[in-house]
Amino acid sequence: MSARLFQNAHIVVPGQSDPQALDLRVVDGVIQAVAPGIAPEPGDERIDCRGGILLPALCDAHVHIREPGQEDAETIESGTEAAAAGGFSRILAMPNTDPPIDTGGMVGFIQSMADRRARIPVSVAGCLTKGREGAKLAEIADMAEQGAVMVTDCNHALQDAYVLRRALEYTRHFDMVVGVYPDTPALSKGGVMHEGAESFRLGLPGIPAMAEEIGIERDLRVAAAVGGRIHIQNVSTAEGVDSIRRWKARGVQVTAETTPHHLLLNHTQLGNYNTHFKMMPPLRTEADQQALLEGLLDGTLDMIATGHAPHTDFAKNLDFNHAPFGIIGLETALPALHTHLIQTGKLTWAQLCRLFSDAPRRLLNLAPIALEPGQPFEAALFDPAAENTITRAALKSRSFNTPWLNRTLHGRVTALYLPRDQ
Amino acid sequence: MKSVSHRKDLLSFDNMTREEALAILDTAKPFKDLFTRSVKKVPTLRGKTVLNLFYEPSTRTRTSFEIAAKRLSADVTNFAVSTSSVVKGESILDTIDTLQAMQVDYMIVRHGVSGVPEYIARHTKASVINAGDGHHAHPTQALLDAFTFREIYPDLQGKRIVVAGDILHSRVARSVFQLMHLLGVEVGTFGPATLIPPTIPDYVNVFTRFEEVLEFDPHVLYLLRLQLERQTANFFPSMREYHRVYGVTDERFRQIRERGMHIMHPGPVNRGVELVDDVMTYERTLINTQVENGIATRMAVLYHLTPEVKSRSHDTEETA
Repeated sequence: MSARLFQNAHIVVPGQSDPQALDLRVVDGVIQAVAPGIAPEPGDERIDCRGGILLPALCDAHVHIREPGQEDAETIESGTEAAAAGGFSRILAMPNTDPPIDTGGMVGFIQSMADRRARIPVSVAGCLTKGREGAKLAEIADMAEQGAVMVTDCNHALQDAYVLRRALEYTRHFDMVVGVYPDTPALSKGGVMHEGAESFRLGLPGIPAMAEEIGIERDLRVAAAVGGRIHIQNVSTAEGVDSIRRWKARGVQVTAETTPHHLLLNHTQLGNYNTHFKMMPPLRTEADQQALLEGLLDGTLDMIATGHAPHTDFAKNLDFNHAPFGIIGLETALPALHTHLIQTGKLTWAQLCRLFSDAPRRLLNLAPIALEPGQPFEAALFDPAAENTITRAALKSRSFNTPWLNRTLHGRVTALYLPRDQ
Repeated sequence: MKSVSHRKDLLSFDNMTREEALAILDTAKPFKDLFTRSVKKVPTLRGKTVLNLFYEPSTRTRTSFEIAAKRLSADVTNFAVSTSSVVKGESILDTIDTLQAMQVDYMIVRHGVSGVPEYIARHTKASVINAGDGHHAHPTQALLDAFTFREIYPDLQGKRIVVAGDILHSRVARSVFQLMHLLGVEVGTFGPATLIPPTIPDYVNVFTRFEEVLEFDPHVLYLLRLQLERQTANFFPSMREYHRVYGVTDERFRQIRERGMHIMHPGPVNRGVELVDDVMTYERTLINTQVENGIATRMAVLYHLTPEVKSRSHDTEETA
């Protein structure tokens, strides 16, 4: 028997919006007690949390691992090390690798690779269509048997509503989520940033907000007609949030995510063509940031996901039009949300855990984590007082493409506890 | 003539004051006076190296910079790069590191993507002059336009200009808007609604009919070159219709003459699209003057900038 006693912690427990000053005792990976001033028993390993916050470990439903195909940008080791350093005990790996994960065999390969080499458990998403080409359905039942929990073509938005219709119908027998990227390619084609006064000033081709809204409207209209589980990835606009709100009110079974960067940054911050601010969908306006937060608070948007998208320095050093879309996010998500939303009183710890642990776990068919007696102990320890400068040396990811590079955020994950390690 | 700034680069007018813009324009004047002499050269940049780094072909602009640099006694090298090879494996940064090692003092950069000169400027000690980047900026074009405008109206405060055509895709329009506004000129624009986005700066008056342009009564009507590929992207249905609705037709040319309006165009002209052929020989068409003034203005810009490379001996040297 191994027992550990966490003392001087502020614990995010069910039913409380703020962390409570409590102790927590774990025996063989299962929480035995959560109470103030638990008396240590002989043989207990005592862990002084120094006033840090003990929260249910986070779950990221949108991570690009890059292996196989782009191991110079990220590998299963480095990506999951970064996730662990960011407080995540589970990620969903996206299928836009090279080759793409579009068969049962590929899903099994990724899963076994992750089981052997990953620092934390990994769930796998497969492609919705063969080769992510948007034309022919991938072998969804095969992928489901190998453990895939979602099918998605990532940022290749479906051009063809017929394909989406058949995918939503077909997946109904496999408890499989269909992930869609909200876009209308004919309207966003060629764009590299949000269309507005800033794109005019910088002389860069724009991506209008309506491309997202129209994409969501179409996809949810199809879902309303045929059913299935649909998940909208990467929502970035106020119009997109409104659209989801309307369809949810009409009873469509839909979940949706947004990212920390779309919540915390906007298009005026691209500065001098900094490609660390180039992503799909693009950073939008301050009004969109506000609408995304409101959407999260009123339940229109279900979760936060990082969309962690590593790219090498070489790729991000290309000019703004040719540099790839995407930024990394696993290691900055919690410190950035803590700095800009929790410390400013816009979001509570309980809300953050609902959005960044409970909801994504449900999406992946996993039970939410509750830090209460009888539950497996799966938690992150966060030091809110730490000054956390995001340096290349500190990042576990193989890539450094983050808008927070060399900026200082408040707070740092100091430990991650997984049931299997105990 | 005094050196007026410690500015390293000219990328856009984002951080430029009116005083600085006027200083550059004032410097161009004595340079232009040189051109009437038998020896058109001054020793200002003797021993300095100017590199034309053109990722987009442009014989006119490149030649203008080349002559400007040579009249300042600089050594000029042309470095042509194809954009496709860059995407394939050699980044711009690789190229810049190579050129940096060759101790270049000035880089004149043209690139099809907005922001590239800015990016290069951050990574080199050489002075970078933006010779046109994507849809973003073309500051020396706007300066030569302002110089040309001032030759006719020495005080630009309260004067009026209308820029007509494809604003959406035009770096020239963006720079002309910015500089003219900086110099106190009232700015208007005229063109198809597909090519004039609602996101243009607030100070630009948008006209939807030519009659409104006449009412505004600009001192200069500035016609932009229409890129033929815009038609295939459905920004307007046909060249014929564009000319009829937004071009200088025979009838409009008559009205322009009556009012004594001047015509400018950054070249090359699409005859029968932006304007009818007769406009080219109209005494108030300034298109060739613009080209001539391009050299003097670019000399002034080269003179005005201070590279971080080695000594700044030209600051103390007597010129012109």
